[in-house]
Amino acid sequence: MVAECVENKKVLIKGNFAIAQAAINAGCECYFGYPITPQSEIGEFMSGKMQELGRAYVSAESELAAINMVLGACSTGVKAMSSSSSCAVALMQEALSYATADELPVVLVSVMRGGPGLGNIYPSQGDYFQSTKGGGNGDYKLIVLAPSTVQECADLTYKAFYLAQKYKNPTVLLADGLLGQMMEPVEFKPYPYPEIDNSSWALTGAKGRDGRIIRSYAPLADNQCEFLEKLYEKYRKIEENETEWEEIGTEDADIVLVSFGSTSRNVKTAAKLCRQKGLKVGVFRPITLFPFPNKRLNELADRVKKFITVEVNMGQMVNDVKLAVNGKAPVELIHKGVGAPPSPEDIMSQIEELI
Amino acid sequence: MEKDFIIAGFGGQGVLLAGEVLANGFMLDDKKVTWYPSYGAEMRGGTVNCTVVMSEDEVSAVQKSQADYIIVLNQASFDKYEFWVRKGGAIIVNSSLAAISRKREDINYVFAPITQMAHDKLGNIKMSNILALGILAKISGVINLSTLENALNNVIPAHRKNLIPKNVEALKLGYEYDLLKV
Repeated sequence: MVAECVENKKVLIKGNFAIAQAAINAGCECYFGYPITPQSEIGEFMSGKMQELGRAYVSAESELAAINMVLGACSTGVKAMSSSSSCAVALMQEALSYATADELPVVLVSVMRGGPGLGNIYPSQGDYFQSTKGGGNGDYKLIVLAPSTVQECADLTYKAFYLAQKYKNPTVLLADGLLGQMMEPVEFKPYPYPEIDNSSWALTGAKGRDGRIIRSYAPLADNQCEFLEKLYEKYRKIEENETEWEEIGTEDADIVLVSFGSTSRNVKTAAKLCRQKGLKVGVFRPITLFPFPNKRLNELADRVKKFITVEVNMGQMVNDVKLAVNGKAPVELIHKGVGAPPSPEDIMSQIEELI
Repeated sequence: MEKDFIIAGFGGQGVLLAGEVLANGFMLDDKKVTWYPSYGAEMRGGTVNCTVVMSEDEVSAVQKSQADYIIVLNQASFDKYEFWVRKGGAIIVNSSLAAISRKREDINYVFAPITQMAHDKLGNIKMSNILALGILAKISGVINLSTLENALNNVIPAHRKNLIPKNVEALKLGYEYDLLKV
């Protein structure tokens, strides 16, 4: 059941519905998708709402088709998205590589479940690598946003559309089965970002102007070098301007717990429990996974004695934390393979073992 | 302060809906709240449960292995969740579908023939879930009846609003149930 979503009124809804409603508020004109647990509610919601609004909804024949439809729609300058999960996002990797090369503002919602392979439908953070390192070919980056509450599912969906448009780069909202399936109060504000003018590149028909081609093929070696330098200049700009994170109690912390997404909810409570025992523990939560808050973590490493990442996977973000800290402090890992995150008490007792 | 609630029973007994009504009630009381379902390869007649967490601050873990108040609508859920009740907490047992027994001394037991009451007094066993919420409101004191009525209004969709009076009746029936009667 979906509560009626009215601006500036609190409603209790699932993360999946919050994402879908936010996409509609953000002006998403086209949704292309193929169902998969634990994110099928997004397509379910879109199938009704998009048609009511006279926008496009296509239940594609496969994930491969869905993501390529998004590329096609984006090339005409409209806001378009798809949503999927883990093993099905795997099928979209080629198109995401193309979309970075074509510089298309694709928005993809990835609601993680257990892997590898078909895995299972329970929550997981096992696609940190998939979204931040990519499974497509070539040098490319996706902008990756990681919500930890249902409110953030909505707010960061807005942001995903904005950043995708602003930088003409595919952007992933990386949620998980827990966020997708849980309900929490959320308040929808109007889309807060400016609209980006895309008239200089969108394929809108060549009436009265020269034709345009969007492609990722550069037959001459020099062209491609030049393009890659330009692309990475853009990524540096994104790192400079868009890196986002949350810090709690890091001012005097000896130990900093690093976690993203739904896991950080439990981690925050674990840190509180540690404080009650007299341990100086802080929390660092990257909100953008690319751009990753390397610089800030490196600064913190000047005085923090130990970093511990907490993840629901076999240890993925821990590698990026190690790179950021660059040997200044030890980086440990607390993890669980798949499922709901470890309880705060469990995290605390593992912290005590590590110190 | 955080309070945890689990509602469990057969698929089809309205366990998830009851949780949604409760969670909406907490939202209306301006509390922080989460609702998390057991989701999996579930089927009608299988077991199902949901966890509702109410807190003054942002809710941390949304899935729990212990709760302050647990409602069990069938025997299988009673067998499992009797041991999940936090010390000093309470379990509300649907004695129409679960045998009365007490394996612990550190928790409170409330036995009520919920399905039977819904059948005899409301004429519809589908109201069992909401009736159970009435009992919960009474024994926990964490939410009042009028808030739950408003919550029902939030949850029941427009084309089913005609069902609200009957559900309010169910809430009251649960609330007024004589807790000492076993």
